[in-house]
Amino acid sequence: MAATESAGDGLSTPAGRILAAALALPLAVPVLAQGVPDRATLSLRVLDYQDRQPGADRVRVKAPALALAMPLAGPWSLGASVVSDAISGASPAYHTRGLSRLSDERNAADVTLTRAFDDATLSVGAAGSHESDYDSAALSLQGTWSSDDRNTTWAGGLAASRDRVNPVTAVVQGARKRVLDVHLGLTRVLSATSVWQVNLGLNRARGYLSDPYKVFDVRPSQRDALRLLVRGNHHLRDGGQTVRWSWRMYRDDWKVRAHTLGLEFVQPIAAQWSVTPALRLHSQDRARFYVEVDPEAAPFVTQPPPGAAYSSLDQRLSAFGAVTAGIKLTWQPDPEWTLDVKFERYAQRGRWHWRGEGSTGLAAFDARTWQFGVARRF
Amino acid sequence: MMAVTHTPQPPVDGIGTWRIRFAAMGGSGEVVLAAPAAAQARRCADAAIAEVLRIEHKYSRYRADSVVSRINAAAGRADVACDSETLALLDYAHTLFGASGGLFDVTSGVLRRAWRFGPDAQGRPPQPPDAAALEPLLALVGWPRVQRDGARIFLPEPGMELDFGGFGKEYAADRAAAVLVAQGVAHGHVNLGGDLAVVGPRADGRPWSIGIRDPRRADALMASVPVSRGGLATSGDYERWFEHGGQRYCHVLDPVRGVPVRHWRSVSVLAPSALAAGTVSTIAMLMQREGLRFLDDSGHDYLAVDAEGRLHQRSAGATQAVSPGICAH
Repeated sequence: MAATESAGDGLSTPAGRILAAALALPLAVPVLAQGVPDRATLSLRVLDYQDRQPGADRVRVKAPALALAMPLAGPWSLGASVVSDAISGASPAYHTRGLSRLSDERNAADVTLTRAFDDATLSVGAAGSHESDYDSAALSLQGTWSSDDRNTTWAGGLAASRDRVNPVTAVVQGARKRVLDVHLGLTRVLSATSVWQVNLGLNRARGYLSDPYKVFDVRPSQRDALRLLVRGNHHLRDGGQTVRWSWRMYRDDWKVRAHTLGLEFVQPIAAQWSVTPALRLHSQDRARFYVEVDPEAAPFVTQPPPGAAYSSLDQRLSAFGAVTAGIKLTWQPDPEWTLDVKFERYAQRGRWHWRGEGSTGLAAFDARTWQFGVARRF
Repeated sequence: MMAVTHTPQPPVDGIGTWRIRFAAMGGSGEVVLAAPAAAQARRCADAAIAEVLRIEHKYSRYRADSVVSRINAAAGRADVACDSETLALLDYAHTLFGASGGLFDVTSGVLRRAWRFGPDAQGRPPQPPDAAALEPLLALVGWPRVQRDGARIFLPEPGMELDFGGFGKEYAADRAAAVLVAQGVAHGHVNLGGDLAVVGPRADGRPWSIGIRDPRRADALMASVPVSRGGLATSGDYERWFEHGGQRYCHVLDPVRGVPVRHWRSVSVLAPSALAAGTVSTIAMLMQREGLRFLDDSGHDYLAVDAEGRLHQRSAGATQAVSPGICAH
């Protein structure tokens, strides 16, 4: 406040002496013990996802999810969530052809227990999910540590899961998959309006990694992946807007390489409202064993090269570029309630690969997502 | 119970503004700060609130184990060793005594023994004490008589009292704000019963808008002051008072005559710290008519309402810093 920073004529006035004496009092303080939230938050999120290719709707997912975060005694707090996905529609058996119907329900739950310390937190978590053909169980451990000035926060975590696959096609029975994930993150507050974050993750998958519902889908039984995320949030003081940008890099030993650029812009539009348009650009290279569509074979299935140990005709392992555009509207009618609604359109094309080396012969792939959320604090 | 409330503003960058209320120092307080999540807001606020409670416990004259109670209990008998924080506050008290021409005196709390602001045990309304009741108490007032030997403090006469109530709240607000800063909080403030220490502006860079209550209408604001940093404090004649024979008697007592001051209904001051703001506003109250010149000379922005309800103010960028609303006359 410029009005007061120029206050007083040094020590020449009584008030100047008072100010000098007031500012001379010891105000450097140690950071004291930290607590935990004393209120709970319950949130409900409903997702409706539909993807399609020209002439055919493919997979639809309707997923309501309920999450709770609440304090326990002392420095402990608890987080828990449950989600139920209803999956229906059709999925291609190879490339973008051979659509076969599917219908399943997936129920999942997780729970996390967190202990807060002066400068750190430690969390342990457990998660499980069940589908008619797939079961998964996971354990996780995560810690954070902040510097004295709270401008630097390190985070590290370890998660392990064990999955079991029992496809109705019975190509395998009780096949196992084990995943180990390690991540390390650094968050730096650069200024009152600027935050940067870097996250590095390693993911090691072993076991049955193929898709049992696709033909000629034989993938290696191991995959090691590296991912890097760099992102920043910048607040614009004049208009009250916030810009969030991110760059994600992914690479694995199946030779899938992907880059994603994201940009979001939070615009307050009234006392209780904000609107957030978002744009994401994605490009990825094909897995080394992805089998391109052979136009000669169409409409029949392309045969994998003779003698190939591994093969996949899964569109998700092809080379493509994709664009996601979305908009989110947030309403906070009173201190306890937050409501938001988000709509996203996703479009994926082989010819949009950033170097122009995308896969060919695949149908265009599009998706839309509606998401509605409501959160209440108690 | 402390409560975390999310103020109804659009979250900016996922950073909401959280309001944590608590009870301390005989009144209500709140910590307001910007944080991405309730847990983080809670953590920072808890540390700040703990600092307020620490100061309350250490200096409350209502607690027998406080530093102040120990010094007072030893009055006329023994000196008491003090830690560096207490000695720093005593140094500050010394500065205030000199800067106020002897009007701000941390030994004047004994005068409260003669002044009752509520009905007595028999339900009789309060009335001003007579001179005979005040005289022995006035004899116990006198900062210059307090003896200090290094880190030891001695009140020479039994019955003498020290009382940091005149600036303890503002000191606690400044310390609590420093705790927030030490945890990386850049946007927020600590409010202890209307006295504020502001860490920094709102998350979107706009200043906080702080209401100043009308001294004659408890439910009305007379002004709203934009504050981005520093301290804002108000002294007034409305916190404890009674009327007798058409005259209002408030709790701010002139330590020389032992009677309430009358010239100001309220004095609000904006300064680089809550402590400076609070002591300047209290001294202006104590100086009565001369308080206006003291305020003008202080260089701080102020908003004062005199006994007739007239507004006096100074603000850099006069229309901007203080925007008076309605004032009850």
